[in-house]
Amino acid sequence: MKKIAFIAALFGVLASAAPAQAARVEVQWWHAMSGVLGERLGELVEKFNASQDKYTVVAVAKGNYDEVTNGVIAAYRAKRPPEMVQIAERGYMTMLLSGAVVPVQELLDQKGYKVDFSDFIKPVASFWSYKGRMSAMPFNSSTPIFWYNKDHFQKAGFDKPAATWQELETQLYAIKAKGVSECGTVLPGDFFWSLLENYSAINNQPYGTLANGFDGLGTEFVYNKTKVVSQVARLKKWLDDGVLQIAGQGFSPEQLFTSGRCSTFVNSTASHGNIERNAKINWSATFLPHESDINPPLNSTIGGGAIWVMKGHTPERYDAVAAFLDFVAQAETQVWWHGVTGYVPATNKAYALARERGYYKDHPTREIAVLQLSRGTPNDNSRGFRFGNFVQTMLAQRSEVEAVFTGQKQPQQAMDDAVKRGNEILRQFEKLNAGKGTEWAPEAK
Amino acid sequence: MKASAPIATSPIWPEAPADPPSGLARSQHKSPGETAAGRSAVTERASKARTPKRGQPDREPGLKRANFGRGAGLPTLLLLPQVLILVFFFFIPSLRALTQSVLLSDPFGTTVHFVWFDNFKALFASGEYRQSLVTTAWFTVAQNVITLAIAVVLAFATDRVVRARSVYRTLILLPYAIAPAIAGILWAFLFNPVVGPLAHMLHALGISWDPNRNPNDALWLVIMAASWKHICYDYIFLVVGLLAVPVSLMEAAAVDGAGPIRRFFLIALPMLGPTIFFLAVMNFIYGFFETFAIIDAVTHGGPAGATNILVYKVFVDGFINLDLGSSAAQSVLLMTFALICTLLQFRYFEHKVNYGV
Repeated sequence: MKKIAFIAALFGVLASAAPAQAARVEVQWWHAMSGVLGERLGELVEKFNASQDKYTVVAVAKGNYDEVTNGVIAAYRAKRPPEMVQIAERGYMTMLLSGAVVPVQELLDQKGYKVDFSDFIKPVASFWSYKGRMSAMPFNSSTPIFWYNKDHFQKAGFDKPAATWQELETQLYAIKAKGVSECGTVLPGDFFWSLLENYSAINNQPYGTLANGFDGLGTEFVYNKTKVVSQVARLKKWLDDGVLQIAGQGFSPEQLFTSGRCSTFVNSTASHGNIERNAKINWSATFLPHESDINPPLNSTIGGGAIWVMKGHTPERYDAVAAFLDFVAQAETQVWWHGVTGYVPATNKAYALARERGYYKDHPTREIAVLQLSRGTPNDNSRGFRFGNFVQTMLAQRSEVEAVFTGQKQPQQAMDDAVKRGNEILRQFEKLNAGKGTEWAPEAK
Repeated sequence: MKASAPIATSPIWPEAPADPPSGLARSQHKSPGETAAGRSAVTERASKARTPKRGQPDREPGLKRANFGRGAGLPTLLLLPQVLILVFFFFIPSLRALTQSVLLSDPFGTTVHFVWFDNFKALFASGEYRQSLVTTAWFTVAQNVITLAIAVVLAFATDRVVRARSVYRTLILLPYAIAPAIAGILWAFLFNPVVGPLAHMLHALGISWDPNRNPNDALWLVIMAASWKHICYDYIFLVVGLLAVPVSLMEAAAVDGAGPIRRFFLIALPMLGPTIFFLAVMNFIYGFFETFAIIDAVTHGGPAGATNILVYKVFVDGFINLDLGSSAAQSVLLMTFALICTLLQFRYFEHKVNYGV
């Protein structure tokens, strides 16, 4: 139904654009948003198209992030790429060094748009920029937060979830022991992102050498020598004790939380839209926990996607692209998108505007992600992750963590193996991409 | 029955191993009333077929010959669609896979290194690939045996269903109409240890069922799902095969005092030989190539690679990990394995099959 509504919205856009088609320059934007998010993206494009009469952006849903990536690769090889494409954060290095994209900041400068890139929230800006310049337009930025069932905590005699993993463990075991709920928490589908990568950033643990890859392609994973190992051991212990449950295929972890079965859930702030719509429980959210010996915790890192501009189009089309990207970066657009989806506002100005309007008085949980992202000054461990083939290394890591869950490997052994497999993949990326990316350096211009 | 042995080893059959359906049709189209003389004539003709005499059409008894005239135009035209499909969807992609398998390239194709057989070497050195090989062997063999066994029982039972036989048949054929991904989600949900009703039944029986944490449970789950999806395919061939078993033989055996089970094992099953052989080959091909949607929906190849069969690994490495060289090398190897497997089946099992039904 949602999809139908979205397609209908798309047709609406096309229909409204039809009479003035001759005058309008049409550009395509391939994206990966579905469900509620897809509907909202359709509205965003509609707003842009209605705001001026020179350009028409056509949003095309191409499936999930992997499918969009495959689609754009095939299209580029066939020399028919779309003008814009939304790519997930894990594909950053692949896109950056592809030689197939136009730097966003350069494009906007060239077309005379004054987007204040220094105003972007730091983890957002640092993730999407290379050598100090924005390579893609941050679009949907999220970060994991800690969702919980208020009633469960109250019944067990707690005000709210504790701030540290150690105290949280006591709480979750108490909730189970008192029979409040049989499932303390549910394993998120993207646990590698929230419970390993963001965990490392928040607890100031290095994930790889060379500032997590920010300083060069020679980076190597080191998370087998950090607290990540004990984190995996903790998850395994919780699983064995029945405090942590795996939803498994055929069922989403989110449903286990929103149905009131599991008391807590670590998931992206972007699920606000879904949870507000579906949850029949008295829920709230708070910051991700940190280790008791790490104080203060650092910022978390972002996930989500950005809009990349593809090479190979005419200047008129790039006029349209630049106008649209400028529209996306505007505080008004950001505040609206933040409000209807739960993604964070990408700029400080947009955040201030949302605050000013008292938005967080009614929606206090929407502010958590922004506060968690922007606390402190990001250091080498919390700036983000710059690993090539990051999807592939992640899948290898996930498989090794599963080997711990099945009892085939000890946490240390599994993380050693994950790092070894990951480093082989990084070396292959380095071999293929050595010396690339010079077009991004400001001095090369 | 022995008289028909030469036909089974006639030169036509081994030449076209990749095309068993037509072979099956050939063996079944022969009418039961065909004379022994006619059969030996077939064999004779097959050996002569390569050097037909011009202007002197074969006039051997019992054989018809289609005549499309002298020109090659019409046959070519009729063949064209199939040839084009093969060229565009088989030969060109296969060639691309072969070239890609010796290259290391980034997904956008901007940098390409020629690396000889590095992709293959890396695969054989990789523990994950070896694990995937073993998993695939278990998966395809178990899936094959289970599918055939259940389909044979169901097909034989069809004979004994008196009322609503067509309803029975339709019900068994239904899973074929369900998309593999949907079938996968169905099975994943039914056997989900947290919410699945069938998983709860297993738990109630005292079986600690958890495909998320137990590799064997996960492998069984995908084997069952894949078999369930394919039973109907085997079933329909077997039902037709059973129809070809002469009723007189069965009746004679019944008169002689053979019970239904005895009649099945001693008469029906041997006569189904060609069908079962063909289905075994098709099941292998299905297991090798067509089960990836089920794996994707049921387990994503996990936990810890326990259900990561070769074809799913090809997909993940190519389309998720964007490691095109390795993915191409894997698909070349998978193709080779499938070919070897099929040839071995023909080499060792085919001559034991009795085509004289």
